[in-house]
Amino acid sequence: MIEIKNVSKWYGSFQVLTKCSTSVKKGEVVVVCGPSGSGKSTLIKCVNALEPFQEGEVVIDGTSVGAAGTDLPRLRSKVGMVFQHFELFPHLSIIENLTLAQVKVLNRSAEAARDKGLALLERVGLTAHADKFPGQLSGGQQQRVAIARALAMDPMCMLFDEPTSALDPEMINEVLDVMVQLAQEGMTMMCVTHEMGFARKVAHRVIFMDKGEIVEDATKDDFFGKPRSERAVQFLSKILQH
Amino acid sequence: MIGNLDLSFFNWELVSNFLAKGFYFSIQLTLIAMAGGIVFGTALALCRLSGRPWLALPAATYVNTMRSIPLVMVILWFFLLIPLLIGRSMGAELSAIITFTLFEAAYYSEIMRAGIQSVARGQVYAGYALGLTYGQTMRLIVLPQAFRNMLPVLLTQTIILFQDTSLVYAIGAYDLLKGFEVAGKNFNRPVEAYLLAAVVYFVICFSLSSVVKKLQTRIAIIR
Repeated sequence: MIEIKNVSKWYGSFQVLTKCSTSVKKGEVVVVCGPSGSGKSTLIKCVNALEPFQEGEVVIDGTSVGAAGTDLPRLRSKVGMVFQHFELFPHLSIIENLTLAQVKVLNRSAEAARDKGLALLERVGLTAHADKFPGQLSGGQQQRVAIARALAMDPMCMLFDEPTSALDPEMINEVLDVMVQLAQEGMTMMCVTHEMGFARKVAHRVIFMDKGEIVEDATKDDFFGKPRSERAVQFLSKILQH
Repeated sequence: MIGNLDLSFFNWELVSNFLAKGFYFSIQLTLIAMAGGIVFGTALALCRLSGRPWLALPAATYVNTMRSIPLVMVILWFFLLIPLLIGRSMGAELSAIITFTLFEAAYYSEIMRAGIQSVARGQVYAGYALGLTYGQTMRLIVLPQAFRNMLPVLLTQTIILFQDTSLVYAIGAYDLLKGFEVAGKNFNRPVEAYLLAAVVYFVICFSLSSVVKKLQTRIAIIR
């Protein structure tokens, strides 16, 4: 589904990604972790070309992301993305946040889009908030709306960029619950997250990045059982202490 | 001295005979220059922020040039140059409308540029990630927020624009100030006429400013 081949990226002369290669198969849940500044967020933004990269190739469902003739808006509409800071549109109501792209990108009728939006709001347990504005919701609620907004496009895979990092601790689980449910339904997911509990529960593979390189790319059991690199061992010991 | 002022000539007849026409033009000039200036200014701002030198450079040059020349000179030069270019005058009023639109666009552009930059980069990412094009992301996501964030500043600029419309006296267009001037001459009371003009401009601008202040607290987007 997602193929990342030898992707390298520089900011000026500073290299942020070095020959990153991995893949996410259909129905697979892959967790990407690593210390801050290791390039995980940059890598996941390269997948749907929110960040350009200078070398290598990213192929989604047979379409090369970086190629010249690629219809990026069309490709992105098939790849759902959830951001660290939610990025709901503050000037639109919750239901408008969910229907906007359905109408403008997928050309759905306003009614069909609204029905779809309401169904997804019900799924994330926020039907009562349909006509409120993002600023009136808590962080956890906003992030669940953001997930619903991405799902409204019927994506073939979902990208999560640290979806719980900006949340207060008591709101993390309500977001993770939605993600776990999604994973169990067979959604293809690539998640940048430090939630190792989530990784243990639903991930098939775990990728560990450090200094712009993919240091480990292992099945969940191998990763938590016997990480091969020193750096991964150190990282795990730091974040699993508490 | 003050005792010599005679305001008795100020009556309804004066308003309808001399001031209404000028007032109407001043308002018309303000509204057209505002609408046109915001549209053209937003385009200039988008060019400057496009990251493409062939768009950004001409736009920046235009804005900086306009902002470095006194308005009254732009009004005069445009009025004097057009007959040389097209062979006939287009009239003081039309000339003023075009000049003000072009001139104010430079100022509105700087406001809109700040407004666009005030919208978080993540909003653009979110728009793109949903499959929106650059144009859709700007039109549906970024510009509405930028416009809303900047509305008080845009309106304040419009109040300044209304005051500046009095500069069309330089090319003899018939605006509100001209109305007072003509009335003053007719009744041989120029000092009183100019005094009244100042009061009218003050009342209009001061009340608009108060409205903007109230608006400011009401329209802020809840974040």
